[in-house]
Amino acid sequence: MKKRTVAAVGVGTLTLAFAAVGLAGCGSNQDDGVVTIEMVQYKPEAVDVFEELEQKFNETHEDIQLVIDSPNDAMTILKTRFIREDYPDIVAIGGDINYSNFLDAGLFMDISDFDGLEDIKQAYLDMDKELEYVPMDGVYAVPYMANAAGVLYNRDMFEEHGWEIPTTWDEFISLCQEIQSEGVQPLYFGYRDVWTCLAPWNAMAVDLAPSDVCYQVNAGETTFAENYREVAEKQKQLLEYAQDDPFAYSYNDACTAFARGESAMYVIGSYAVPQIQSVNPEINIDSFVFPASNNPDENILNSGNDLQMSVMAACEHKEEAYEVMRFLLEDENVQFYVNDQSAVPCKEGDFELAPMLDSMKPYIEEGRLADYQDHHYPSEMSVDAMIQTYLLDDDENALDTFMERFDTEWVRYNRDVIRKVQEYMEQNPDKE
Amino acid sequence: MKTKMKHGEKVNWPITILLILGCLTVFFPLYMTIVIAFKQPSEMTNDIMGALALPKSWSFSNFAEAMRVTDFWNSLGNSLLLTVVTVVIAILLHGIASYAIGRSMAKSKAYNFIYLYIVSGMFVPFAILMMPLIKQTAQLGIANRFGVIVLYVVFYMPINLMLYTGYLKNIPIALEEAARVDGASTWKTYWSIIFPVMKPMHATVAVLTAMAVWNDVMTPLVIMSGTGKNTLPLAQLNFQTQFGTNYNLAFASYLLALLPILIFYLVCQKQIINGVVNGAVK
Amino acid sequence: MKNGKMKNDRQRTFMLITIPVVVLFFFFNTFPLLRGVYYSFTNFKGYGSYDFVGLRNYIDLFGDARVGNSYLFTVKYAVVCTIIVNVISLLLALGLNSKIKGKSVLRGIYFIPNILGGLVVGYIFSFFFTYILPYVGQALGIEALSSSMLSSESTAWFAIVLVGAWQSIAMNTIIYISGLQTVPEDVYEAGSIDGATGWKKFKNLTFPLIIPFFSINMVLCMKNFLMVFDQIMALTKGGPSQSTESISYLIYQNGINGGQFGFQSANAVVFFVVIVTISVLQLRFTGKKEEQL
Repeated sequence: MKKRTVAAVGVGTLTLAFAAVGLAGCGSNQDDGVVTIEMVQYKPEAVDVFEELEQKFNETHEDIQLVIDSPNDAMTILKTRFIREDYPDIVAIGGDINYSNFLDAGLFMDISDFDGLEDIKQAYLDMDKELEYVPMDGVYAVPYMANAAGVLYNRDMFEEHGWEIPTTWDEFISLCQEIQSEGVQPLYFGYRDVWTCLAPWNAMAVDLAPSDVCYQVNAGETTFAENYREVAEKQKQLLEYAQDDPFAYSYNDACTAFARGESAMYVIGSYAVPQIQSVNPEINIDSFVFPASNNPDENILNSGNDLQMSVMAACEHKEEAYEVMRFLLEDENVQFYVNDQSAVPCKEGDFELAPMLDSMKPYIEEGRLADYQDHHYPSEMSVDAMIQTYLLDDDENALDTFMERFDTEWVRYNRDVIRKVQEYMEQNPDKE
Repeated sequence: MKTKMKHGEKVNWPITILLILGCLTVFFPLYMTIVIAFKQPSEMTNDIMGALALPKSWSFSNFAEAMRVTDFWNSLGNSLLLTVVTVVIAILLHGIASYAIGRSMAKSKAYNFIYLYIVSGMFVPFAILMMPLIKQTAQLGIANRFGVIVLYVVFYMPINLMLYTGYLKNIPIALEEAARVDGASTWKTYWSIIFPVMKPMHATVAVLTAMAVWNDVMTPLVIMSGTGKNTLPLAQLNFQTQFGTNYNLAFASYLLALLPILIFYLVCQKQIINGVVNGAVK
Repeated sequence: MKNGKMKNDRQRTFMLITIPVVVLFFFFNTFPLLRGVYYSFTNFKGYGSYDFVGLRNYIDLFGDARVGNSYLFTVKYAVVCTIIVNVISLLLALGLNSKIKGKSVLRGIYFIPNILGGLVVGYIFSFFFTYILPYVGQALGIEALSSSMLSSESTAWFAIVLVGAWQSIAMNTIIYISGLQTVPEDVYEAGSIDGATGWKKFKNLTFPLIIPFFSINMVLCMKNFLMVFDQIMALTKGGPSQSTESISYLIYQNGINGGQFGFQSANAVVFFVVIVTISVLQLRFTGKKEEQL
C-alpha cells in the first residue's frame, strides 16, 4: 500500500515535470514583418534603465521589436551562448580584455558605416583601437558610457578642515600628512578583495606610463620594469597613510568605512558610489584626478569604456541594429542613463554630470583621459594578486622581484598575442 | 521495539549538554544572518556592537522586496521541480543500479571495474565538463530544465552509488535468498525486499542530493541561460553585482530559501532514524 | 536446474539495469571529459577558433610555480580538513544517536551550516575574522589572535579550514548517523553484558560495523576538500600573496573567467588523475580493512 503511494507520487511528479519542460521548449518566431533585435547588456545594476529604454523604443518603433537582456553573471552567459552559437544581435559590454578576445575570435561586425560614431569622443574611440591585439581595419564598438576612477573624497570633511585638492604627487602626500596630523584617517583600502589593488594602480599608471605600454611590450620595444617602477613604488608608499593592516579588509568594509566618515579619501572608481551611498545616503562625495606625477600636465583622468555596443557578426538585421543604437544614443536617453548610473557619457555634448564628478569635469570636457591599464591585462595573469603579493612583501628587493615577475609572467600569459603582434610587424614593417 | 523500551528510559545528560553548547557555533552565525536580514543598508556598520545590535525595526519589508526581486514563487517552483524530480529519479535509478552493481561486484571483475569507473566520475572537475556539456545539451535540444535534471542524475550517480553499495554491504544476502527460494524474480525481490530495507539510505541520499541540487548555481546558470527560467540561487545572484552587494536583501532571501530544505531535511531525518527496526537487518 | 535458472535471471536483470546506466553515464560524463582532454592540447579560449599546441600546456603545467603552489595548498587544506571533519562528525553522530533530549531539534540545528549559502558564510565569517576575533584577541592579550587571520599567509589557510569544516560537518554527520542505523542494538547488548563500555565498545563493536561509512566519508571529504572553491571565493579570493589559491580556483578563474581554457583543461586532467589515484588507494586500503573484519 505504502510502496504504491510512493511509486504513484514518483510517477506523477515525473509526468508533471516532463510536461512542464515540454511546454517550456516552445518558442515563437514572429513572421509578421517585425524584426526582433536582441541585445544583451552586462550591467545588472542598470537593469531598470534598460527596461525603461526598451519600453520606450518599442512604443515608438512599429517594425522593430527590441528585447534587452540584463542577465546576472552576463560574461559567463555570453560565453555559453557563444559556445552554443546562439548569438544575440547586439552585445553591450565593457571595453576590456574580454572585448579584445571576442574581437580576436571574429565575433563582431565592422560598423565603420554607422553614422552615430561621428558624435563619439575621439578619446574613447581610440581606447577601443588600442584594445585590438593587432591593429585592424574598421570599427567594432560604439563607446556608450564611461566611468572614472581617481580619489573619492568626503566633501564635508574637506570643507570643514579647509583641505585643498592636490594637483601634484608632493601635494597629495603632504595633504595625507596634514590629514593624518589632524587625527583623521587619510586613506582606506579593501585589499583583501584583491581586485581593489588595481584601483590605485590604474589611477596612477595613466599618469606615469604610456597608454599603449602593453602593445609596446608585445612589440618588443620596451619592458614593464622600465614603465611601472614608479607606479609600484608610489602604491607602496600609500600604505603609510592607510588604516592598519589593509589586507584584512574587503571592498565592502572599505566602502562602509568611507561612508561612515572613517576616512577622508578612498582611492576607487565612481562605480563604488552607489554602494557607499547605500550605507550613508547623506554623504557628500566628490572625486579628483589622482595626481601621481609632479608635473600637473601629466596628470590625466583614468576613464574607460564601461559600456559599449558591438553588433555581432552573425546579426542579420544590421540596419535595425543601427536603429537601436541610434535610439540609445539620443541625447535624452543618454542623459537618462547618466542620471541613473552617475556615468560619464562617451558622446560629445552638453550633458549634466553627477555631482561627485565635479572636480573631474574639466578633464572630461577636454578629453584629457586614458583607459584603465588593466583592460589590457589577461585576467588569468592575475595582476591584482601580483600587486597584493608585492605590497605584502617586506623584502628590500620586493620591487625588483615584482618587476621581474611582471615581465616574465606577461610573456608567459601572452605568448600567442605576442606572436601575433610580431607576425604583424614583420608583414607591415612601416606601420607603427 | 522491546529493546528500545529497555534502553530508552535513561537520558544521557552530559552528552545532551555538550551538544547544546556546541549549538552556539551555529547560533552565532544564524543570529547575525537574521539580524542583517531585518536591517536597512544604512544600519550596516563595521563596529562590533553596531553589527550585533538588533535592527531598529522588525519590518518584513526586506523579505517582501527580496521576494519581488527574485520573482520568488516562480524561482521557488523551478528549484522545487529540479530538486524533487532529481531526488525521485536518484532514489529509483541509483538505488537499483547500486543493487545490480553492488551485488555483482564481489564475484565479477567487470562489475568491480564499472563501480570504480562510475565512482571515479565524481572527481572530474566540473569546469572541464562545462564547455563540452553546454555544446552537447544545445545540440540535443535539451538546454533547459530537462537537460539540467539529466545532468544532475549523472553528476550525483557516483556519490549515490557509493552510498547505496556501502549500505548494501551491511544487508545480508540471506534476506533475498529466502525470496529467491520462493521463486520471486530478481526485479521483484529488489522492490519488495531490498528497496524497503534501504529506507534510511534513501532518506540520506534524498537529503544529500536535494541539498546539492537546491544550492547549485553553475549548472542551471550555464545550461538554462536564455530559457528565461530562474532557480532561487540564480535569482539570488541579483543581489551581487561587481561593485556592490545588498547584503540585507540577500540575507533575507537566503533565509527564505533555507526554510524548504530545512523542513525537507527534518522529514527525511525521521526516516533515517526510524527506517529500520533495529536488529531486523543483521 | 531451478537454481541455475534463477541465477541466470539474476545476472540478466543486473545486466539490463547496468548497461543503460553506464551508457547514460558515459554520454554525459566521460564523453564531455574526453572532449575536455582534447581541448587540453589546444590554446582554446572557450569560444572562437583555436590552434593545436601539442604538449605545450602539459609542459607549462609542470614548470608553473603558481600551479605547484596551488597543489601544495590544496593538499595541505584537504588533509587537515578531512581529519578534523571526520573526527568531529563521528563524535557528533555518536552524540546525536545516543539517548539525548531534543534529538530532532539538535539534529536540525547542526544541519543548518550546510545550507546557509556562500554569500552569507563569506560575509559572516569575514566579519568574524576581521573584527570580532582580533577584538577578542586584543582583549585577552593573545598576540596570535590580535590581527586578522585572513591577512597573514601563515594563518589564512587555517581560517579557510575552519570555515570549510564548519560547513561540511553536517553532511558527514548525516552519513555517519545513517551508518549507525545498521548497527543492531543486540550488538550493544552483547557488549554491555561483557562489560564493554565507552572507547572499548566503540573500537571493538561499533566502529568495525560502520567502516564502510568511514571509507565513504573519507573519500567524500577528500573529494570535497581537494575541490575547494566556494570558501576561497568567500573569504580570501586566493590571497594574501596568492597563498590560498586552490586548484579548482585556478581552473575556474583562469579557465572559465579568463582565457586559459586549454591550459586549465590540462590542469584539470592532471588533477583528475591525481585524485582518482589517491581515492582508489584509499578505497583499496579501507576495503582491505573491511575484509579483515
